Amino acid sequence: MQDTITAVINPADEKGTYLEGEALDQLKQYFQSGTLRVKAATQIGASAANIISETVAKSLLYGDITLPGGNMYPTRRYAACLRDLTYFLRYSTYAMLAADASIIDERILNGLKDTYAALGVPIEPTMQAIQSMKEVVTQKVGAEAGQEMDIYLDHIINGLS
Amino acid sequence: MSIVAKAIAQSDRADRFLSSAELTQLQDFFNQGNVRISVAQKLAANQQTIVDQGSQQFWSQCPNTPSNRGNSQKTALCQRDQGWYIRLVSYCVLAGNSKPLEDIGLDGMREMYVSLGVPLANLKIAMRCLKTVAMGLLSSEEAALAGPYFDQLIRAF
Repeated sequence: MQDTITAVINPADEKGTYLEGEALDQLKQYFQSGTLRVKAATQIGASAANIISETVAKSLLYGDITLPGGNMYPTRRYAACLRDLTYFLRYSTYAMLAADASIIDERILNGLKDTYAALGVPIEPTMQAIQSMKEVVTQKVGAEAGQEMDIYLDHIINGLS
Repeated sequence: MSIVAKAIAQSDRADRFLSSAELTQLQDFFNQGNVRISVAQKLAANQQTIVDQGSQQFWSQCPNTPSNRGNSQKTALCQRDQGWYIRLVSYCVLAGNSKPLEDIGLDGMREMYVSLGVPLANLKIAMRCLKTVAMGLLSSEEAALAGPYFDQLIRAF
């Protein structure tokens, strides 16, 4: 995976230069935002199960998808949905810490649409659930960190659409 | 690979969010951000000085070495490599991780210098001299961040 630090070091090494100017400023900003990122990751990690329950209640629970014939019925598929939403949350949190979306591409989006098509998982409700997850996460971590998480949850939504 | 990427990769392998120990480690790393930036700036600004003074120290301790035999082309090449190692140490300080040094400058290093006929034992002395000069230019807080990567470099030869 790439993170924002290696993303600036690698091109500098290609040129044989030290990190200076814009690249160094970029790192400086990243270091300064570090406390916000670590705090958000701590809060999200500590309440992940809660975030997922609230996300489902906001987006999926009261719809047809949980009824017989829906893709969250029976319980096995309900559990699979919880697992996938937890993946989305966990990888978005990783990406937010790294300030780089590449781990989402590698570990989540690569082949996801095909897998969901094969399993009959509907894309539209999945995207709605991630939208709801953005709101729930922002409630937990506050507006500033929430905006940062939005970038990576939106990245998943965009990758699905 | 940075300290951040490393913590993420090990969490990912265990299918979990970051542990509180990992999060504390990252918070400590971010807290030292300004010092890390300042180390990188000082090493960049003083690379030439470190190499020049380091070479003088090195040649006084180890006069019979390829870079000190009057072949200016060879001397320039050796000093260029030394400058590169200082640059890699600066990357490590910014990444909070020794992977930049290992991946760019240590993997295959022994084979390369053996093939070039440069004695590894001499290089070890040269690297130690670079460290001495560099440490003298850094504050104690900065030196504490850069020192371990110089030590790893010295150990590698």
